Amino acid sequence: MSSRVCRTCGGSDIDVDQARGSAVCTGCGSVLEDNIIVSEVQFVEGSGGVSSAVGQFVSADGPVKAPLLGSGFHTGVGKESRAQTLQNGKRQIQQLGSQLQLNQHCLDTAFNFFKLVVSKHLTRGRRTEHVIAACLYLVCRTEGTPHMLLDLSDLLQVNVYILGKTFLLLARELCINAPAIDPCLYIPRFAHMLEFGDKNHEVSMTALRLVQRMKRDWMHTGRRPSGLCGAALLVAARMHKFRRSVKDVIGVVKVCQTTLRKRLTEFEDTPTSQLTIDEFMRVDLEQECDPPSFTAGQHKVKMQQLEQELARKLDEVEGEISCYKEEIETELEKSRPKLRGIYAAYAKEMDPEDEDVLSSPSDPEDKEGDDADLQAAAQRLTQDFLCQVIQEEGGRAPQEVETEGAGLPAQGASLASILGNASLGLQESFHTFNLPEPDQNPDEDPSPSGELDLEGIDDQEIDKYILNEKEVEVKTELWTKQNADYLKEQKEKEERITKEKEQGTYKEKKKKYKKREQIEAATAGEAIEKMLERKKISSKINYDVLRDLNQPAGSPASEPPGGAAAAPRKRLSRRRRKAGDANAELSAGATMMTKRFRRLISSTPRKKKAAPQVETAVVTETASEAVPEAPPAAVPGPAPAEAPPPVETEEEEEAAEEDCVSALRLVGDYGCEEEEVF
Amino acid sequence: MDCCEEAKLGARRLARCLQKLGFKVRFSAFRVVNVLAVCSMPFAVHLVDFTKNNRPIASYEPELHPAATYRIKNLKATVQVFSTGSLTVTGPNVQSVASAVEHIYPLLYECQKPRCK
Repeated sequence: MSSRVCRTCGGSDIDVDQARGSAVCTGCGSVLEDNIIVSEVQFVEGSGGVSSAVGQFVSADGPVKAPLLGSGFHTGVGKESRAQTLQNGKRQIQQLGSQLQLNQHCLDTAFNFFKLVVSKHLTRGRRTEHVIAACLYLVCRTEGTPHMLLDLSDLLQVNVYILGKTFLLLARELCINAPAIDPCLYIPRFAHMLEFGDKNHEVSMTALRLVQRMKRDWMHTGRRPSGLCGAALLVAARMHKFRRSVKDVIGVVKVCQTTLRKRLTEFEDTPTSQLTIDEFMRVDLEQECDPPSFTAGQHKVKMQQLEQELARKLDEVEGEISCYKEEIETELEKSRPKLRGIYAAYAKEMDPEDEDVLSSPSDPEDKEGDDADLQAAAQRLTQDFLCQVIQEEGGRAPQEVETEGAGLPAQGASLASILGNASLGLQESFHTFNLPEPDQNPDEDPSPSGELDLEGIDDQEIDKYILNEKEVEVKTELWTKQNADYLKEQKEKEERITKEKEQGTYKEKKKKYKKREQIEAATAGEAIEKMLERKKISSKINYDVLRDLNQPAGSPASEPPGGAAAAPRKRLSRRRRKAGDANAELSAGATMMTKRFRRLISSTPRKKKAAPQVETAVVTETASEAVPEAPPAAVPGPAPAEAPPPVETEEEEEAAEEDCVSALRLVGDYGCEEEEVF
Repeated sequence: MDCCEEAKLGARRLARCLQKLGFKVRFSAFRVVNVLAVCSMPFAVHLVDFTKNNRPIASYEPELHPAATYRIKNLKATVQVFSTGSLTVTGPNVQSVASAVEHIYPLLYECQKPRCK
């Protein structure tokens, strides 16, 4: 500053007068500066003698582009939109908050959260009312008010889980640690709603004690706090001789009957439930219980073990029983009167069959239905055969009969043994032997492109999964019945379309998005122009300035846009800075950077290596992390950004490679000083 | 058989079913995208303490879900911890799931509930 040392006499004693705005050297008296720009608040007298300060309030995150491209801009465009969003949000917060009876301080805090959310662009793609509700709930949690997420969802008629999702996301993004819900918070509120009159306070205290006891008994982890409160209040009410039915309580607490009953049962299992009312109020048991689901799990495991043991014992016992059975039968045999002559021969034939047929039902692995049928069928077969044989036997010698008869029991035995053996494979073979085989076709060649490897796949098993004709009919009927409404709608729609087509009024409401044509442009500047034109982001952009961006800059960049150009990448140059600024605020004007846009921008540098700045600036704008600067001389390679979105990385890498070349060149060309990066 | 191979076998069987029904089948680029595993700790876990100790990584919202969710960023795995000590782990492959369990075990051990019986 020249006011340090006087130009004429060299004296350093300079008197700066703020009021007159002049700097004078006290030594020689020469005026060094006149009309110094002062930054003081000025006051103006308004009507009625009221003096007010001159100036306007400018918000910190307001219009970013206002002071920069000076030539005749409308600065009101971007600000309005943001201000409107905030205003709208504030209104909704007030509305919803008053319904919840939140005080003004909470509402203000909620509005602050909302401002944070908007500035982080988290409102995009979400309904404003969801976001508002989440902000309000965040405040409720941090302040510890007895409001549940359920209340909010009731007011908005929105699913709790959707609200919960939004809330969790916001809490994570804003790095706000909401303290865990304590069921004790809800007790006074519910007690009030249950109208205990004078004794409200006492009942609340009792209920509180109960809840604390439940907490120590590990009943509260993983459960909705409202359920516990409901159970505690019910018990407390009864203790103080108030008659509150389960229905009253669930109406207030908003859980279902089953849950309440379950909580009561769990509490019953704890040793505290055995105490009398007085004892409970006085004494606190030391012992703590395991959580109920844990005990239930253990219980289950024990039951399973018991069952296994029982099953084992049953098997043993069965074994014994069958031994006894056999012994009894042999005894009976011996004691039966013996047949003589031919009849003896027949008896011998019949017996082994009967035994085999009889022994098969006792096989524990039988599938009852199938086997019974098969047995009956086999029995009939053998009986038919026997009848035939007996008829023939009349004309034949007994020896032949014997041999045939001997053959018979063998066959009968084999049939019965097949029946008796109920393992899957044998049953299948029986099936395949008797029933018409549907699967005649051999393995079809899989389509050559598909290459479905059939190794390890059991074809017969697959066949079982496929339904046969009758089952297909049944299923089709079932399905049509279930989906009758939908099918009706479809039919009506089709009829409507055909009618309209006949009338000629049918408008094809195709939701197909036309493929956007590739923008062909010679330079990056042109490309941006064309894109902006098409997208209709703003007709107020000065294209001349845009075009000038690509030329070597005359004037250095003035103050860079605050916040918008968070430039974490280490590509610096004067040229770039200016381009970065201009483009950054351009894209700040443009709402969302689409992938296409980015790719578009990056595609042009591929054609022309000389102009990668545009893309870098654009890329830098969307990134919101701040990485410390680095001198251009030390631009080695691609910046290792922390968590770059995938599209950007590939662009960065391309750009970075180009950077290595052009940055060095630039450094050589311009000899830039270090510039501050945001 | 390894569970990933079993999954592939199951997919092939289904394709075979479709093939038998007469559709033209193409089976290509089979890829296991997500693996889900369950395991159980021999102790119960105090979820509130666990969440407090691991603040941003773990989240617990009893009104919404009875388990505390712990997301391990570098493994890209998610562990859901229930108060009984059972865990549900999901991750992109078996290895990450195993590492996730190893990672989280000491944290759970600190917040275990003293057993009483």
